[in-house]
Amino acid sequence: MKLPKIATVWLEGCSGCHMSFLDMDEDLLNIFSRVELTDSPITDFKDFNFQDVALGIIEGGIANEEQVEIAKKLREKSKILMVWGDCAVFGGINTLRNAFSTQEILQRGYIETESTVNGAIPVHESLPVLLEKALPVNRFVTVDVYVPGCPPSPDAIAYCLNEILQGRIPVLPTDMMHFD
Amino acid sequence: MEANTIKITMDGKEIFPEEGMSILDAARQNQIRIPTLCHHPDLSAFGGCRLCMVEVDGAPRLVASCVTPVRDGMEIITSNEKIIHSRRTILEFLFAERNHNCMICPDSGDCELQSLAYELQMDHLTVHSSFDTFPMDVTSPYLALDHNRCILCGRCVRACREISGARVLNFIHRGPDSRIGFDFDDTRGESTCHACGVCLQTCPTGAVVNRYRTHYSVKGHDKRQWRKTESCCPLCGLLCAVTATTADNTLLKIEGNLVKDTDRPDGGQLCFKGRFEVLKTKGERLTCPMVRNHDGNLEATDFQTAMDLVSEKLNTIRDNHGKDAVLGLVSSMCNNETLGQFKDLMVRGWHSGAIDTLDGDHFRTLLKTRRHLPGSFDEASWKTIPDSDFILITGASPGRTHPAINSLIHKTILEKNIKVAVIGNSNPGLPMTSFFLPITREQEPLLIKAMLKHTVEIIGSPAQKAPDWNRICKETDLIDSAKLLNDSGLDKASKMQFQEMVKAYATAVTPLIVTGEGFTGTNDPSGLDDLLDLAMLKTYPSATRPGIILLKPFGNSAGAWQTGIPSIEPLSGSVNWKGGLFILSGEEGEAHILSGPASAVDFLAVISPFFPDPLARRADILIPAPTWMEEDGTYTSLDGRQTLLKPKLYDPPNHIQHMQDILSSLAEKAGWIPA
Ligand code: SF4
Ligand code: SF4
Ligand code: SF4
Ligand code: FES
Repeated sequence: MKLPKIATVWLEGCSGCHMSFLDMDEDLLNIFSRVELTDSPITDFKDFNFQDVALGIIEGGIANEEQVEIAKKLREKSKILMVWGDCAVFGGINTLRNAFSTQEILQRGYIETESTVNGAIPVHESLPVLLEKALPVNRFVTVDVYVPGCPPSPDAIAYCLNEILQGRIPVLPTDMMHFD
Repeated sequence: MEANTIKITMDGKEIFPEEGMSILDAARQNQIRIPTLCHHPDLSAFGGCRLCMVEVDGAPRLVASCVTPVRDGMEIITSNEKIIHSRRTILEFLFAERNHNCMICPDSGDCELQSLAYELQMDHLTVHSSFDTFPMDVTSPYLALDHNRCILCGRCVRACREISGARVLNFIHRGPDSRIGFDFDDTRGESTCHACGVCLQTCPTGAVVNRYRTHYSVKGHDKRQWRKTESCCPLCGLLCAVTATTADNTLLKIEGNLVKDTDRPDGGQLCFKGRFEVLKTKGERLTCPMVRNHDGNLEATDFQTAMDLVSEKLNTIRDNHGKDAVLGLVSSMCNNETLGQFKDLMVRGWHSGAIDTLDGDHFRTLLKTRRHLPGSFDEASWKTIPDSDFILITGASPGRTHPAINSLIHKTILEKNIKVAVIGNSNPGLPMTSFFLPITREQEPLLIKAMLKHTVEIIGSPAQKAPDWNRICKETDLIDSAKLLNDSGLDKASKMQFQEMVKAYATAVTPLIVTGEGFTGTNDPSGLDDLLDLAMLKTYPSATRPGIILLKPFGNSAGAWQTGIPSIEPLSGSVNWKGGLFILSGEEGEAHILSGPASAVDFLAVISPFFPDPLARRADILIPAPTWMEEDGTYTSLDGRQTLLKPKLYDPPNHIQHMQDILSSLAEKAGWIPA
């Protein structure tokens, strides 16, 4: 039997959502036996030429040009796109930087931090350019399932995966919803 | 059906609300839930957020149920797809308008906006957030206001006006720049805000936050673990009703009781002490008894050994040196039960004739005044403040010691435009006081004497003469008020103000005098006598008590004084004192007062919740006690006329004995067993 394929990516986030995913206990075994995980940061996969997948999952918001590209590509290849976490859903903690210009942010991060000596802002063609603002995923691509939380609880992730595997588009119930 | 009830249908159910009631109140009365945000049951209706929209008589335009009165025959639907959609859209706009990052919000888990988002399953925003940033005000040590989380519901504005009466807050600027402002766009620190915290209590979001407990995530994040305890605040004798929220035996917050139908004019506002400073760590906690060892250092011991040592020492001192050899001092912040037990232990157990409270001097001054009636306090209740038309504050700093009284005066000035005069060295932080005569504490009595003379002159010869009228006339005849005024060092303008003030007092109908430590803290009762005469001149014949409020130094001073602990004569038997037992409540300043007497005894035991610096250097035994928050007890109101039970807010730490057990163990060992 061919199993439905799943790809997950980690964009502007802290990996907390993937940690929550790995924290699902026996639900994890249960779900892994019913899907084929193609690409995921937990397999340390670095090439984002996704296969066609039944479900694409994004952790993290979008804050640089590369992330825009990845999100668009994954959307294209996914029948259903689910986003995990407040960063992906609302913008989350990354949006604290929206109060400043990207120049100010880089200046502070690479030059002015207290522990930095002779710092410099790195510039290289392989480094993606920061967007003016860190933004939620649905500002760039259509999202089908939202799982807010910082991070979402393993229960919330398991619930949504199970619902999707049974052919339904879930909306998180009140008692599983939290924004922190 | 009652006389003025009407019949309406709500979600298919016939209900009978009173005419004039809002749809929302009718729904709540019938356990039908309508979500709200700007509405608060203890504040006037505002109708700003539109979250409470319902459908009336199938009309396409939804109406705000919190501001729409019921009408006979109305058919109301409180929830359908359209209504839910409208509510969700409003919520999304509220989230999108400013920056709600719940994961770093101090109020996450205790936020009405957030709970509504969960309830309506708002799992993302369909509108784009602006990510515009707004400022944050952190100029008060007690409260912060983060405009990024403000939804402009105006609850704080109404609470500050209607409950606190301070009218500090208002809406400033327009459109998307609208903001909550302090006075004329000041910072909170520079404004007339007195940190009562009702804006914090009524704010539905994390916009107004408590700086003393900023994050619920460590303890008490899960509301299901919250425990609410109704109690009262014993810090100043007003005994404000409070509700304490704890989780896992940790205090999360203290809130006022905003219910309107009580006889308390404070409206449940609380003050910076009762709401904020209670959350402050007061010092290093004493976790076990400590005994001074041979090297002169304090070392930990167990409770039993400590009890044995204290009794052994003090019993021996009693047996060898007799009466007065054991000195007992207790803080008037202790509850009545502790005070009573302490007195029994000292008097019956150790036959001590030398016991006192930390504020005994104040009591003795009061005792020496002419009008003092034993066993009762000859003074007005602070609850009469809203009914007075002139208030004189002298020898007291209510803003510091009894902040709710200051706030009530503040409110009465703004609401009723009453005149307030301040004679003293510090501006009380009240707006628009009519008179302020800045003089030193020592000179206050001079002005009061002069004021007494002028008041007698202005009153002339009334039909109904106050008690002692003839004596007062005779005495004031001898007063050279011009000289007194000169001696007080007032400049010319202030002297004119003084005359105006006396006239205002003498012609007021229901004047009140608020006084305190400035007059009770001296050994000379004559200043207080003059004040009492001054009050009586204006109070009689409408009341038999002088219109004077006496602010006492400690939260339960009235209780301690009524228990009869302070000795009538100042304690001066220091040559006889050999041993001492001091009981502290753990509030600030106590250990300092005790440094003197501590050095007069050879052996000293101290019972205290905290390491009593600098007293600990002198103590031979320290015994840990619960704080007032950790024990049930009764406290007596400022005017001495009411005694309230204050249930404990949470349990003391493990291994700390109840005060009752400590004191009865000592009493038993001293050979006195209560019947
Ligand atoms: S105020 Fe409420 S909704 Fe806003 S960030 Fe804080 S918890 Fe979240
Ligand atoms: S703390 Fe009290 S006085 Fe200050 S702004 Fe809030 S409600 Fe007004
Ligand atoms: S500060 Fe709080 S109570 Fe005041 S308007 Fe903003 S959200 Fe409402
Ligand atoms: S609760 Fe009715 S309009 Fe805000």
